[in-house]
Amino acid sequence: MVAVGLPERTVTRRPPARRGRRAAGRVLPLVPAFGLLALFFVGPILWCVYASFTDISLTGAGASSPHLVGLRNYRQMFSDPAFAKSLWLTVVFVIGSAVIGQNVGGLALALLMNGRHRIVRAVVGGIVVGAWVLPELVAGFMWYAFLSDHGTFNAILRAVGLHGGSWLYSSPLAAVTIANVWRGTAFSMLVYSAALSNVPDELLEAASVDGASGWARLRHVTLPLIRRAMLTNLMTITLQTLAVFTLIFVMTGGGPGTKSQTLPIFMYQEAFKFYHLGYGAALAIVLLAVGAVFSLVYLRAMRKEV
Amino acid sequence: MRRKSALVMTAVMVAATASACGGGSSDSKTIKVAYQKFGNFIGADELFKKIKPVFEQQNPGLKLKLIPIEADENSYYTKLNLMRRSPKTAPDVAYEDTFFVNSDAEARFLRPLDDDLKSWPDWSQFVDAAKAAGQAADGHTYGIPMGTDTRGLWYNKQIFAKAGLPQNWQPKTWNDVLAAARQIKSKVPGVIPLNVYAGKGVGEASSMQGFEMLLYGTGDKLYDDQTKKWVAPSRGMGAAFDFLKTVYSSGLGPTQQQALDPHWSDNVAGQELPKGKLAIALDGSWLPQAWIPGGANAWPQWSSVLGTAAMPTQNGQAPGKVSLSGGWLLSVGARTKNPSAAWKLVQLAMNKENSLFFYVKATQVSVRKDVVADPKYLEGNPTQRFWTDLVSVTQYRPAYNVYPQISNQLQAASEAVVTGQSSPRSAMNDFAGQVKQIAGPDKVEARS
Amino acid sequence: MALASPTAPRRRTAAVAAYAELAIVALAFLAPFGWLFLASLSTSPTLDTSIPDEPTLRNFADVLTGDNLHSLANSLVLSLGSALLTLLLAAPAAYPLSRYGRRFGRPILLGLLFATGLPVTAIMVPVYGLFVQLDLLDSVPATVLFLTATGLPMAIWMMKNFMDEVPISLEEAAWVDGANGLRALVRIVLPLMVPGTTVVFTFTFALTWGNFFVPFILLIDPGKQPASVAIYQYFGINGMASYGLLAAFSILYSLPVVLLYAVAQRTLGNAFAMQGAVKG
Repeated sequence: MVAVGLPERTVTRRPPARRGRRAAGRVLPLVPAFGLLALFFVGPILWCVYASFTDISLTGAGASSPHLVGLRNYRQMFSDPAFAKSLWLTVVFVIGSAVIGQNVGGLALALLMNGRHRIVRAVVGGIVVGAWVLPELVAGFMWYAFLSDHGTFNAILRAVGLHGGSWLYSSPLAAVTIANVWRGTAFSMLVYSAALSNVPDELLEAASVDGASGWARLRHVTLPLIRRAMLTNLMTITLQTLAVFTLIFVMTGGGPGTKSQTLPIFMYQEAFKFYHLGYGAALAIVLLAVGAVFSLVYLRAMRKEV
Repeated sequence: MRRKSALVMTAVMVAATASACGGGSSDSKTIKVAYQKFGNFIGADELFKKIKPVFEQQNPGLKLKLIPIEADENSYYTKLNLMRRSPKTAPDVAYEDTFFVNSDAEARFLRPLDDDLKSWPDWSQFVDAAKAAGQAADGHTYGIPMGTDTRGLWYNKQIFAKAGLPQNWQPKTWNDVLAAARQIKSKVPGVIPLNVYAGKGVGEASSMQGFEMLLYGTGDKLYDDQTKKWVAPSRGMGAAFDFLKTVYSSGLGPTQQQALDPHWSDNVAGQELPKGKLAIALDGSWLPQAWIPGGANAWPQWSSVLGTAAMPTQNGQAPGKVSLSGGWLLSVGARTKNPSAAWKLVQLAMNKENSLFFYVKATQVSVRKDVVADPKYLEGNPTQRFWTDLVSVTQYRPAYNVYPQISNQLQAASEAVVTGQSSPRSAMNDFAGQVKQIAGPDKVEARS
Repeated sequence: MALASPTAPRRRTAAVAAYAELAIVALAFLAPFGWLFLASLSTSPTLDTSIPDEPTLRNFADVLTGDNLHSLANSLVLSLGSALLTLLLAAPAAYPLSRYGRRFGRPILLGLLFATGLPVTAIMVPVYGLFVQLDLLDSVPATVLFLTATGLPMAIWMMKNFMDEVPISLEEAAWVDGANGLRALVRIVLPLMVPGTTVVFTFTFALTWGNFFVPFILLIDPGKQPASVAIYQYFGINGMASYGLLAAFSILYSLPVVLLYAVAQRTLGNAFAMQGAVKG
């Protein structure tokens, strides 16, 4: 138990198993999980695809006798400037709050906390995690109150001699982005903390003795070792951020106008306020495609790395 | 071995799940009633808890099952309609927004009550406007109104005194309202003279308490029941947009930041009015719900500080005042296995005594003539008489399933006007174009 | 352990800087909580931030009702149930995907990941229909199963990745001793990935804890609803909310997950020790 190999090169040999039983033995552990997923998701997902080609609705004629409408929902979507804007806002929101904010922030926090005193880790970690575990609804109200005209943020600004502002009105997308960074960074921090605890100290020591600066150690030793964690983290927070609804809904309602109307808000309006479930389903599928595109980009980038 | 035990465990859990199912079975002996229970809005819950033993005693062998759905209106409605889609879970009786009567009738969720009503003596006690609210475009009545709400002007008498305005104020025209607001602006700096909701932030409040309260005072409407067409653009619509522009561009209203804030309507009731920072508010009859003891923002002095006035029509044309109404119905589900028992429950819940109970608990305006005459109804809320009198002129929104989309466009148009992005005229024309897209060009007519 | 290395002074400066930075981060993360704490102590709070004239604990006393504790207990059943079940299902599924299934496993997993990324709001109609068909509506265990399913692909994916980090060389010794894959997983791999497992557990738990829509739609009996649904009692029609009670309830509602994190933190600490042992 001396050699601790690098993860990349580890999977060379396989566990022993006799040929006949091997295939079954490998598939069997997958059965409960995949069975459960098949039970609950195969039907609903197919339904969602089907519904996106119908005019099904929660009330009205579309509730009792929906019709196939071909590509109408998709055509309507792509000819609607509000949708294009919403798609753009969603991409900016994901890049700003997940890819940059939570991901980089979480890594920085994990690095800062790595090896610090246990009490400091517990206190700082506790506060950051507190932001994460707060119900989204409450987080929304807190941030609304924090950024409002008579809120804490303006009070702090005035205390240091700066001018306050109506942040939710003047820069709504930035406001919800920062709020989402605040809310989600804990998860990235946890993922990176776990990953960093797997980075052997000897390697960093060795690099340090060789005269590598902190940045160089991070770039050439730590990052390559936590590549997988980074991929996991990016995929997870991207999918999570794509679905953020309540936070934005409470803070700005998607406004003013449509300035912070991301796809989930747009979808909510169509499905719950206008009752167009079919159109909502089509939007859901587009949301899914956006997630897939992000994930493919990550997979590509991570493969090239190192 | 371990693998097997894990599998066995999973299998056991799945089996346990399958057998541990509850509730779903539906028979003609159990009458299910679904209703909304939301925050301090527990009137329906209290009503059905009150009548459950009575109903079960009057109908031996029958059980009444209460299904309170604790959520905001959109979530309530989503769950209710999911339940209605399946015969197993469809409630026999449900609490239904007057606004959804047409679309839910079209969706075949509701059972027409016309035959039952013929033999119900109480029906003659309901005012006509409310009766009409339970009637769909197909002419059938699908629900019994559980009260309503009305809209008008709240004003702060203390600010009025400082501005030299009468304590007993009743404007006759829009200009009277603007004149009072101007006087407050010049005499009492630091307060918002007049709040009229506009923009998308406050949602339906913007359409209903704001724009439509103006439009319906011009003689024009959003939808013509005779021609069965949406009306846009119209002269009245232009006047309503002009009024909004005047309020917001000459500093008589809240700032744009305030008006477009999604929590503005909450702030008006919770802060601006109680703290004396707002002089005149075009708002709803339900505001005292927040101010009564135990309300979200208890404010014992509200009834001495605030006065009420009807919103006048544009130039004082008959009937001189305007109000819009919403409210709830008690409706019978189309899929009920025991329609006569369901109807008995509706009759019991909406008789005189229980209607009064619900009106008081839920701060509703009465739609029953006999309840209005009952002194208990007016007890405890000095403005109740005023809001109830508005029922004689009140109107309901066009209850069609494209209305939410049209309302959304209305909010966008009023936002463009109050922020100065569009002139009233071009906002109106943009809106008319949107209505054509939503409802179809043949369903829209212009009027000048 | 290197007690006195040549880089010690530089390291000390770095440590001081790190503590200073952590303090700033902590304050920045703390600031938005201000309203929540002030409102929870105030008799008539609004959405403006202000220091209460007469701080009171009445809001807390008022939200500590039997019904609320009951709803928190419901939350605990749903969250604990789905987090444990997720681990129970995800760990065995992740093992073959990590150890042999690189080629075929990944596309399947990615596909699943995207599919369950579908907003629940988009599939609630068929899910509700499915629950009615199977007669599972209003069943807490079935709701736990569904909540588990929604988080499972993410959990399997995360578990697989954490598993990939565990060197296979350690298992080889076990195989030589005749242990099969599952025993190797339980005896060797899982103990080594306690930090990762903790993340997955905390993640699933917190996700379920905050989930409003699934229990709201799938459970009928109000007595079975979790705290994420119960919180709506502090809102009202026409947007009027009791912010004092809302704030107090929110604090109460968040505490269990913060406690969970505190416990997890200790486990993470133990994991470091264990790692050292293995390396030695």
